[in-house]
This record gives sequence, C-alpha cells and structure tokens, in this order.
Amino acid sequence: MKPWSLLLVLLVALPLVVGVVNLPPHDAPDAPIHTGVGVRYLARGVEETGNKNLVTAVLLNYRGFDTFFEVVVIFTALAAVLALPRGSAADPGGAPAAAAKAANGSDIVPVSPVVSYVVRLMAPFMAMFALAMLFRGHVTPGGGFQAAAVFAAIFIALGLVLGPTRVAELVPDDWRPWLQGAAPLAFALIAAIGWRLTGAFLGFPTDDHTAQEAMGLFLEVGIALGGGVILARLFVEMET
Amino acid sequence: MNAGWAEALPWTIVLPMVGAVLTPAVAARRPRLAGTWAWGVLLVASALASGLVYQLATTGPFSYDVGGWAQPYGIELRFDHFSAWVLPLLLLFVVIVPFSWRYLDHVMPDERRPAFYALLLLNAGGMIGFCVTGDFFNLFVFTEVVSLSSYALVAVGGRGLAAFAALKYLFIGAVSSLLMLFATAQLFALTGSLNMADVAGRLADVGGGPAVMVAFAAYAVSFMVKTAMFPVHVWLPDAHAIAPSPVSAVLSGMVVKIGIIGMLRVYQVFFAADVLELGAFNQTLVWFGAISIVMGAFFAIFQDDIKLMLAYSTISNIGYIVLGLGLASPYAVIGASVHVFNHALIKATLFLAAGAIIHQTGLRTLSDLRGIARRMPQTSAAMAVGAVSIVGLPPTAGFVCKWYIALGAFESGQAPFGFALVFGALFIFIYYVRMLNAFYFQEPVHDVVIEANEAPWSMRAPVIVLATLCLVLGVLGGIPLSFVEPAVLELLPFWGN
Amino acid sequence: MLLFGLDLDYVLVVVLFCVGLYMLVSKSNLLKKLLGLNVMETAVFAFIVTSGMIEGGDPPILVAGTAAPYASPIPQAMVLTGIVVAVSVTAVALALIVQIHAHFGTIEVDELKELP
Repeated sequence: MKPWSLLLVLLVALPLVVGVVNLPPHDAPDAPIHTGVGVRYLARGVEETGNKNLVTAVLLNYRGFDTFFEVVVIFTALAAVLALPRGSAADPGGAPAAAAKAANGSDIVPVSPVVSYVVRLMAPFMAMFALAMLFRGHVTPGGGFQAAAVFAAIFIALGLVLGPTRVAELVPDDWRPWLQGAAPLAFALIAAIGWRLTGAFLGFPTDDHTAQEAMGLFLEVGIALGGGVILARLFVEMET
Repeated sequence: MNAGWAEALPWTIVLPMVGAVLTPAVAARRPRLAGTWAWGVLLVASALASGLVYQLATTGPFSYDVGGWAQPYGIELRFDHFSAWVLPLLLLFVVIVPFSWRYLDHVMPDERRPAFYALLLLNAGGMIGFCVTGDFFNLFVFTEVVSLSSYALVAVGGRGLAAFAALKYLFIGAVSSLLMLFATAQLFALTGSLNMADVAGRLADVGGGPAVMVAFAAYAVSFMVKTAMFPVHVWLPDAHAIAPSPVSAVLSGMVVKIGIIGMLRVYQVFFAADVLELGAFNQTLVWFGAISIVMGAFFAIFQDDIKLMLAYSTISNIGYIVLGLGLASPYAVIGASVHVFNHALIKATLFLAAGAIIHQTGLRTLSDLRGIARRMPQTSAAMAVGAVSIVGLPPTAGFVCKWYIALGAFESGQAPFGFALVFGALFIFIYYVRMLNAFYFQEPVHDVVIEANEAPWSMRAPVIVLATLCLVLGVLGGIPLSFVEPAVLELLPFWGN
Repeated sequence: MLLFGLDLDYVLVVVLFCVGLYMLVSKSNLLKKLLGLNVMETAVFAFIVTSGMIEGGDPPILVAGTAAPYASPIPQAMVLTGIVVAVSVTAVALALIVQIHAHFGTIEVDELKELP
C-alpha cells in the first residue's frame, strides 16, 4: 500500500461518484438518453439506413465520420509500431527471433502437436464464423470490427503454430500497403461516391436501398480486411 | 446551405489522413520519396484550408453536415474564427517537413521513413479535425488520432530513454483522454445528445447541478493535462526534449494547443448553456497560468540541454495563454488567442534552429556549444530572433500578445497578475540571455564546434523563413489580432466575469 | 439498481475506474501499469453501456423476436469505437515496453530510475 497513491485515487473517486450519482436514473424510459437523438434512430433508422441492426446504422450511417477516424486510429497504431526502432542497440535484428532462427533453422517456437493439430483443425471454422459475423452483421450482433478481430486471431494462432514467416507470406509484399490501409481507403472511396450520389460527404442515398446496402457492405468488408491485417501485423511486429 | 468552399471542409481533414494511409504504398520502392509525398499532401491541404479561411472571411462561420444528416442527428463540422487556426498550423507543417528530410538521416534508417511521415500526416489531420468538429464524441476520436501519433513520434528517434519518455507521455495522455470520454458520456447521459450546439441547448433545460459541474471539471482537467499546465506538466519536458527536433517543433508548437482549443470549445458550450458560475473557474485558470509562467521559466534557467530548456519554456508560455483566457477581459483573451499561433511560430523557429545545430555538431548542451555563432552565423541569428521574440521584446511577434495579455490584466483590475507576467518575462529573459551569451560571446571549448559548418540549405531555409516571419509578424501583428477579435467579442458576454 | 438512493451500477463503475487508477499509479511494473490503464478503459466503457440501458429493454436490432423498448444504440456504437481506440493505445504501449525491455533488460520503474 502506498499512501500517496491511495490519496490520489480517493481524490479522483470523490468527484466522480458525486458526478455519476447525480445523473438521471439510466433504466427509466424517460431518461434523457432515451428521449434524445436516439429516438429518431429507433423510429426511422431502418427506413433511412436499411440496417435492421441499429448499432450498425449508427456506426456506418449516422455517425460514419466517427468510424472513419476510428479505423484511422488503428492504422495510426500500426504506423507507430512500424516507426519505432527495432531490437536493442547492440542487436538491431531483434534478439529472440534471431536466436530461435539460429537454433532451429526456422523461426518456429516449438509447440505441442496437440495444439498444432487443434489450431489447424479449427482455423477454417473460425474463418466461417468471421465471415458469418461480417455478412450477417446488419441483422445480428456483429460487423466488420468483430470479424476483423476473429480474422486476426486466426492469423496469430496459425503464426504460433506454423511460424510467423509462413503466415506473413500469405500476404504478398506488393499488396501489403493496400491491405493495411483497406479500411480508411474504403471509407474515403465511399465518402467520395456518397458525395457524387447525394451531394453530401459520406452521404448514403436514403431512397435506394440496394445502393445503400452495397455501400455498407463494402465498408464492412474494408474494415474486416484492413482491421484483420493490421491486428495480425501488430502481433508479428511486436514478436520480432 | 453547403456552398462554396464549405464543401472542402471534410476533405481538408480526410486528405492528410488518406495521404498517410497511402504513404507506405507510394514509398514502397523508394523510402525517401515519403518526405516529398508528405510535403505535397500538406501543400494541397493548406490550399484547401486557405479556401476555408477565405470563405470564413467573406461569409462568416459556416457548418457542414457530414452524410447530409440534419443536426443533431449526424456529425456537424463547424468552421469559426478559432478553427481558422488550421491554416497557420498547416503552413507551419509545410515549413517543418522539408527541414526533416535531411535531419532524419542521423535519426532513423531509410526504411522507417514512410511510417514516420505517415505519423506526421496523421498528426496534422487529427489536429485539423479537432479544430473543426462540432461533436463531442468526434472530438474524442480526433484527440486520439493526435495523441497516439504524438506518443509514437516521441520515440521514433532514440532507444531506451526515448521509449520510456514516450510511455510516460502515453500513460498520462491516455488517462486524460479517458477523463474526456467520461465527461462526454456524462454529458450524453444528461442530455441525450452529442452535438455541441444541441448539448448547449439541452443543458440549458437541464439546469446546473453537481453532474454538470463534474462533467465540466473532467473536461477541464483533461485539457489541462494535454496543455501541460504546471501541476500536471511532468510528461512534457522529457518527451519534447528527446523527440527529433522537427517533431519537438510540432509537439511543442501545436500539439499542446489541442488543450487550449478544446477548452475554448467546452467554454463555448457551457457558456451558451449558462448553467455554471464560471467566475471561480476563471480565477483558478489565472492562478494556474501564473504559477505555470513562473515555474516553467524557473526550471528552464537551470537546464544545460538546449532542448530541455525550450521544453520548459513551452510550459511557461502555455501559462501565458491560460492566464489570458482566465482573465476574461477582451484584451487578454484576444492576446491569448493570438499567442496560440505566435508561440507555435516562435517555438518552431527555436526548435528547428536548435535542431540544425544539434544535427551539425551532435552536441546539445549550452556548455558544449559555446561560440557556435562563429561557425553557424545564420542559424544562430535565427535562434536569437526566436529568443528575443519569446521574451516579448517590441519588434517581434511575441511582443504583441504579451502586451495584450498584460493590458488585459490591468484592464480587469487584476494588476498583480500583470506583474507576475512581467516577472515571468524577466526569468525567460535571463535564460535566453544565458543561451545567447554562450553562443555569441564565449570561446569554443569543443573541437566539433570549431570545425562545424552551416546546416545544408534544406534545413537552413525553413529556419530563416520562420525567423523572418517572427520579425514580420512583430510589425504586422495587428492582422491576426483583428481576425480573432470578432470571435472573442462574441464569446465574451458569456465568459463568467 | 438503487441502494440507499444511490445508483449502484454507476457507483460500481467508479470503483472499477479507481481500481485501475490505483494499479496505474502504484505498481512499478510497466505491464501492470498498462493493465491498470485497461481496467480504467473498461470502466468507462461499462459506464457508457450502462447509461444506454432501459428497464426490460431488448438489443436495438429490429428483427422478428425483439420488441420495444430497445436499449439506446448510440452508447453501443460509442463503446465499439472506444474499444478500437483502446486496442490501438495498448498496442503502442506494448511496443514501447518491448523497446524498453530490449534496451534496459527490465520493465520495473524502480530499477529503471536507478539506471544512469
């Protein structure tokens, strides 16, 4: 126990408690949250956006601008990790991977055959699950980000079993910059198309549900691809 | 309603971001191309921004509804007189980037350049978004783009200590961002809206109360951490001193101003709602500002490392801005708003000049760099101009703002703070005199200094351009002043006092 | 849920926030500090999601089988964005910690401060 840190925590806790207990009760139907802007989303969201999942409607349509820069944030994380110096001053190559390479002739850290078998067995099913989340995201819980997380999990699990180099080869060097930027680029493209179609940046044609759905799906695929590749790459870069 | 240059508003934010995403692809074969590419993107973005400022000057503040959703259902971008700061911000980036081309040779291997310039572009784009958004949650997202790229930029140059400084910055910055998110959630729970203008309207119906006060306080603390006010400044000196010099110029000159702009935005909302008595809060700002001025300057005196000295001087200058805002009199607030820009210009001059010296000699302490002015006369002259400017002596850019803030102190009947300001300027004077004395009037002690050469032109030219601007703006200081005046006069009736 | 007239759900969120803050300020190990930060982030997300709930509400997915009242969709979208931001911050922090470990051989602040 460090008394000064406890004091600091109490100092922060007091105003926060005072703040939250004076909020309107959250469960009540007449709380401001349920009478504010959300009312319109619930009343007209499906008709205006074509999304039955209103979280997706808010994420991609009403507040698509937030989501645009959310995918930019995760791209920033990748750029940050790539811009940092690698390894230690004495051994710029990165010690653990290099040592493993020297010892085994490959960069695979040995794993139990059971783990290896289970991971390889499960990978296709995980991929199916990710695709289901991606393409059913407009009517069920799920969507691009969730799919991206599962895709990245497949990459990482396979990377542990097969070695990061072999998994990295799945993405050709020439494609890599485009795949990493897939999510922000998809948003920029849809923003431009929306601008052409409706006259508003990132606008969706509210009267044409087919076009709307196609644009939404394009964004989701972009997010899933870009997000997945970035998350997997973050892991690989951190390891080496 | 979206007409003319207003159409360019979202594209001005998106352009640097997309430019950043494309950087690795553009520079895939030749990594050094990244620098030129980033410069080109920033040039185009500045052209768009000048269109926006032109629109502002002709038709007044304007909004853009993203996605065509009527307010408050979508996200609103709003370009007002405070947002006009994006133009000088981008122009400073345009000057700083060419400096970094050669500077990076000693800092990182070529293959990391694309990632570095991507971060720089993301940083610029995030700040543009931060200045123009009219939505609280969007403000948080842009804060994160700026913060995250800043944490990384601190650590790109060095190993070990740089990473440690960046991590310290990250922890403190992340907590302040969380406070900001908490405040946003608090306001959302109170009003059911995220649009700033709409929140202001609904808050007026809600009335005051502890929950509103806590939301305001959380914003205030969060932004104070981002500006590095005195008690919460601990992250700044190490981070700004250890970063590569072009990055220090960006961080010290512009990124810390995020807190000031954010504070102005939150002020606008809470004063429009008229639910809090903010006189007491203004008084707190005045005190913290005054303490920051004196303590920042005080610590700066004892630094031997020139970049560490400049970093402490940033704390002191942020103190001037906050003091001016807290005084809440027309002169003071106008002076403070303009100092947001002038300080960025002066700090960029100083950090780039210091960077040129460090690049040429590999030395960074005053005692090692004695007599450097003989070998690098132009860079040292630029450094001198910057120093005179930041002290606030008459023919330079720094004078106008500090004069206005001091006038404001006397105008609002808080003369003691006027004296604190003058006292702080005296401290600042001492440490810059120390620096100029070492550069100009002492014998070189280091062999490197005796044999040093002027920096290459790609580094010297930006430094000279910035130093010249410091002098020009000293003479033409009235232009930015008259530009922010209408915005300030519009805001002031709500301003507590 | 109310206890002595206080909104217990909100109070618990603040408790969680403070647990995280305590970890962040009192632990010497950088990884533990980072975990503390993650706990704080989770607390704020829990706060946002809680604020959007409604008594007896369904998730805001308007398909057969769900009925009004629905929970508010905005807080959920905000939290989704917040989670991605938190992941990014964590990734950068971890990369920095890896750097620090590679260079100094330790991630204990106490030991790092004693180094020259």
